[in-house]
Amino acid sequence: MPKRTDIKKILIIGSGPIIIGQACEFDYSGAQACKALRAEGYEVVLVNSNPATIMTDPELAHRTYIEPLTKEYLEAIIARERPDALLPTVGGQTALNLAVELSESGILEKYKVEMIGASLRAIKVAEDRLWFKDACKKLGLEVPNSALVNNAQDALRLCDQLGFPLVIRPSFTMGGAGGSIAYNKEEFGEAINHALDMSPVHEALVEESVLGWKEYELEVMRDKKDNFVVICSIENFDPMGVHTGDSITVAPAQTLTDKEYQRMRDAAAAIIREVGVETGGSNVQFAVNPENGKMTVIEMNPRVSRSSALASKATGFPIAKIAARLAVGMTLDEIPNDITQKTPACFEPTIDYVVVKIPKWQFEKFPGADSTLGTQMKSVGEVMAIGRTFKEALQKGIRSLEPSTPWRAPLETPDSLLREKLATPRPDRIHWILTAVERGLPSEEICDLTKIDPWFIHQIEELTAMNRRAASVTVETASKDLLREAKRNGASDEHLAQMWKTTPAAVRLQRARYAVAPVFKRVDTCAAEFESFTPYMYSTYEDEDESEPRNVPKVMILGSGPNRIGQGIEFDYCCCHASFALREDGFETIMVNCNPETVSTDYDTSDRLYFEPLTLEDVLAIFEKEKPQGVIVQFGGQTPLNLALELKRNGVPILGTAPESIDLAEDRRRFGRLLDELKIPQPRNGTALIPEEAARVAGEIGLPVLVRPSYVLGGRAMVIAYDVNTVQEYVAQAALMGPAKPVLIDQFLEEATEVDVDALADGTDVVIGGIMEHIEEAGVHSGDSSCVLPPVSLSPQIIATIREYTKRLAIALKVVGLMNVQYAIQRDTVYVLEVNPRASRTIPYVSKATGVPLAKVAARLMAGKKLANMNLPLVRHNGVAEIAVHDFYAVKSPVFPFNKFRGVDTILGPEMRSTGEVMGTSTSYGLAFAKAQLAAGQKLPRSGTIFLSVNDRDKKHVGPLGKELAALGFKLLATRGTAAALEASGVESEEVFKVNEGRPNIVDLVKTAKIDLVINTPLGRESFYDEKSIRRAAIRYNIPCITTLAAAHAASLGIRALLEQGTEVAALQDLHQGKLAASNSPKSGD
Amino acid sequence: MREFSQISSNWRSAETAQLYLNRHKIPAIWDIDTRALVRHIRKVGALRGVVATDGTPADQLVFEAKQIPTMAGQELAGRVSCKKSYSWDKGSIELATAPWTEQMGAAVPAGETRKHRVVAYDYGIKQNILRMLVDHQCEVMVVPAKTSAEEVLAMGGDGVFLSNGPGDPEPINYAVENIRKLLGKTPIFGICLGHQLCGLALGGKTYKLKFGHHGSNHPVKNLLTGKVEITAQNHGFVVDPESLPSSDVEITHVNLNDGTNEGMRHKSLPLFSVQYHPEASPGPHDSHYLFQDFVKMMNEHRQ
Repeated sequence: MPKRTDIKKILIIGSGPIIIGQACEFDYSGAQACKALRAEGYEVVLVNSNPATIMTDPELAHRTYIEPLTKEYLEAIIARERPDALLPTVGGQTALNLAVELSESGILEKYKVEMIGASLRAIKVAEDRLWFKDACKKLGLEVPNSALVNNAQDALRLCDQLGFPLVIRPSFTMGGAGGSIAYNKEEFGEAINHALDMSPVHEALVEESVLGWKEYELEVMRDKKDNFVVICSIENFDPMGVHTGDSITVAPAQTLTDKEYQRMRDAAAAIIREVGVETGGSNVQFAVNPENGKMTVIEMNPRVSRSSALASKATGFPIAKIAARLAVGMTLDEIPNDITQKTPACFEPTIDYVVVKIPKWQFEKFPGADSTLGTQMKSVGEVMAIGRTFKEALQKGIRSLEPSTPWRAPLETPDSLLREKLATPRPDRIHWILTAVERGLPSEEICDLTKIDPWFIHQIEELTAMNRRAASVTVETASKDLLREAKRNGASDEHLAQMWKTTPAAVRLQRARYAVAPVFKRVDTCAAEFESFTPYMYSTYEDEDESEPRNVPKVMILGSGPNRIGQGIEFDYCCCHASFALREDGFETIMVNCNPETVSTDYDTSDRLYFEPLTLEDVLAIFEKEKPQGVIVQFGGQTPLNLALELKRNGVPILGTAPESIDLAEDRRRFGRLLDELKIPQPRNGTALIPEEAARVAGEIGLPVLVRPSYVLGGRAMVIAYDVNTVQEYVAQAALMGPAKPVLIDQFLEEATEVDVDALADGTDVVIGGIMEHIEEAGVHSGDSSCVLPPVSLSPQIIATIREYTKRLAIALKVVGLMNVQYAIQRDTVYVLEVNPRASRTIPYVSKATGVPLAKVAARLMAGKKLANMNLPLVRHNGVAEIAVHDFYAVKSPVFPFNKFRGVDTILGPEMRSTGEVMGTSTSYGLAFAKAQLAAGQKLPRSGTIFLSVNDRDKKHVGPLGKELAALGFKLLATRGTAAALEASGVESEEVFKVNEGRPNIVDLVKTAKIDLVINTPLGRESFYDEKSIRRAAIRYNIPCITTLAAAHAASLGIRALLEQGTEVAALQDLHQGKLAASNSPKSGD
Repeated sequence: MREFSQISSNWRSAETAQLYLNRHKIPAIWDIDTRALVRHIRKVGALRGVVATDGTPADQLVFEAKQIPTMAGQELAGRVSCKKSYSWDKGSIELATAPWTEQMGAAVPAGETRKHRVVAYDYGIKQNILRMLVDHQCEVMVVPAKTSAEEVLAMGGDGVFLSNGPGDPEPINYAVENIRKLLGKTPIFGICLGHQLCGLALGGKTYKLKFGHHGSNHPVKNLLTGKVEITAQNHGFVVDPESLPSSDVEITHVNLNDGTNEGMRHKSLPLFSVQYHPEASPGPHDSHYLFQDFVKMMNEHRQ
């Protein structure tokens, strides 16, 4: 069926900020959908609050709105753009939920917008767990027994009926948020209350557990003519009970017979038809009882998902792109398969390799969080590895995670502990399984404890046997056959070197001698049956190489690996932009990455894609095959940077800033000397390896101090210490953790304002890309701080100093490409905190705010172009060039995963913990801030009650804030000290109890919804139980909570703007052309 | 195979695949670069081959392989067909049944619902076709490839099934002759080689593909409904649709990968056939409707 001509303009909703359970896979799917619909001639309007996405690049859609994803803002956009249709299926659960809201509130009908891709009914049947179960039962399929509850009493009555363990799943949440497993009544009571709170409709499903069953997923597609195909089958290594996002998963399914597989396929087809998903991609999850083959249906998603991104990468079949085309009425048989070009998209890909996905967790960032894996997803990212066998893919996957060194259990672990480690799924379970196998625990026992299929355990036994054989020789005595076999099983040079007590270089040399080198095979959707036209490759140890490198000017770009806190989508954005720019300039681009969620690993982002681990061994192998003119390491965050020096030593030309400069900027002592030479102030600092030294250094610098390890991203394990003991303890801890790298100790600048600057340089000229003022004061990690561009409170002299310092630094470090500098301004002195001669987290945000794609410009500089020839919209200030800013403010705000980690304190500090970011824009700073807050899920109230409790330092500044809030019509509640401070400034407030002062106390008030905004600034890192419980309650009851006075001031401006200006929306394309936001709703009210 | 699992892990498993193959003396090749092999065949076309493990030099093996006659022009169906006719009464295997045995697939109890008697020509028939006919309430009598049309008609069945089988259809003149005699007298359903023989019987021609169709993911479009079914295929020869008399024959199915013919039906007489394997197991179930169509055709013909 040809595409529809009755619709012309289509609105696509993105998924918003990166959060656990909803990451950059939706940038990938949304970007694909935009491209596909544009290519079909439709006008595309896109809305997403996340500026760090490729989809919000102004070239991708015709009209791009970086606005909060709420009904109110969507209505304003719809009223303005009047789209004919809405595609809600490529923006994750966020888009789906929003579409349901828009539809049910009559907005779609009012503006005559048709929902395409999924009907309201299909969404509801698939999402409403009871309806879905009824649909399955109608088809004769089995589902776990369950009941839906909306209160705890009913739920408790169910327990006896269904029997423990029970699974609790809140309705309409993503990533299994709020879900859990309860083994007894006590656990159940707590779990059900949490689940009901988390559900936007206050509803949860209590379900009979199928714990320990084998878990499968089918990624399927259907078109208007009822053509149905399975794109990929995925088997979970971890059985039912662990969220699929937290499971190691394998594609294709490994332990199903064809009979079982076809039954599952038939069931998936029946379900998608019954639910009524007319077009697009869906995934259906099944559980299979290993004892008797009984199959039950777990759930389905009527949209593209994290799994479909994985399936797309695993097969080469672009699910989102095809889904978008199907949504406009095309059918699978008329869409060509990009990879083979000659065959249609209506087929089922054949996989002649094995794909393993391993999640990446970061519990170290959230002390106190429970690291047990269950029904709620807790991982922040994932890696995917491709090998010709499960063993090879598994080992490649493990080394794709960072750190990549093979993990070993402590030798003295008693068997009882080992058994516990096997029985309870946690992030490190795979390593405990390896340990158990090595120790000779019978495989039956391992299977019994883990419930993992015996086939997988057998594979691990084979790996262990291989390793044992390898360990019996040395690098010199290893035969060619043995070496080749070890490599065929996926062993890394590093792993072999460890076994052979030698260096990876020595293993490499031996391989070269024996000519044991990897070949590159293609992911071609068809197991080589047809010729493939997309060089999407993976390495393996086989006979024939299929890479066919071309002899043209080419550049290799190293990606950033698995998403993690501090190194996420922003870096993938930069890598993609490098590729786009260099392709435009006629280079062939080669992307290397191992993160399946990304746009960079889309086969049409670069000319050639290598889906490979980002380790020295793997990168060198690709380099030797492709022989590019240069390699870009400065866009992928710390992962490729860590390889830069070693790559250079191995003869790899690094484009842009020299690795030595990057190294210099990381080396405190050498960098300190450079700053002295440049006459740029920095906080007093020193380094220490042992506690005694640390005490002396801290004494010299003066407390408080900031302590942190060297070479980290995202402020990992940074601490502000107010006493010498803390410093000493920290250094002692760090020494235990790893090889002797010094701990950095810096003077901590209290009450300073932090400023981030991104700049471009070509070795001679420097251009300031953007100056961002942090809204939280220094001490909060820059990634966790809201910031505003252009700055709002800095004096012209300070800004001039910042510009001047930035230029000096870029020239001194011979930067070619991007540089990020963090400054702190304390009492009119500008200090340099940190310089990173590489792409920073803020690049996409600055690019969206200014309209100049900094990463693209930087890539061109690295390839040899000069700033002078780039035609950038520049303004010169005293000889320093700066990208012109527009007449609007762009505020970036972070988004935190605290609701996923119950019991973790939400206080911001020097350790980065946000997973994503949003942007708000407006001609007024206040409104830009309010929009950013709203987009981040903090809905600032327009009226009601505000609770204030500030620390002593802030008490002297709280008066004006209170005055402003009272003037806005809020009722103020405050704890005793804060109330006194307010009174001293003539502001009336009602005093409330702290937790230990009596009841009802402040937490009671939060719980009973008597508070609309919490402003609570904590004392130091060691906060009181009271404060912690206030903030936790605020998170739980979804009340906005502000933890710094600076942000509170911004919020008061924001509230004023909301009251005075109402809802404003503006397309990025207009903003960049100086056309400013229009107000679309009455100036007051909700 | 790239890797051959040394264990089996399934509740229905009675032995590993390796032991099973050993028992039936079926050689398996593994630990080779299968992609290299597929790419080679894709480039040069289907080849004759020799499997050796005794260290014979490669050029000697190539020489031996070249001595093997090519498939084109060989009449192979007669060689693999059963020698005597037999009746078949076992239906498909139920997944819920355990433990697995090779003889599994219970006989469907004879009853009033058993309406149609099908005579199945065995040119190398796959058991699952027989099982599926039984599932569709057919009584099946399997007859040797060379059984004459007169004998078949004398058996008084409700329909004739023409099976799959190896190699080139053109030399199987006797089958083509029989189909011509049966045409119009009884409903006919052909699969794979059976389809090609129908093509020849209706006046068409067949030719050999470069490397054939193999595997379980071939998209086939049903031109009557416009819907695509995912099919299992295993054939080297195809019917040339251009060669068929358009006055009598309607093309019903086409392969979306290469546009080759996948099915046809006679415009006025009860005959239809498909090139692919609707019964395939392993393989998708999308085309099971063809068995219903056959039953429907037999119903109509009886009335």
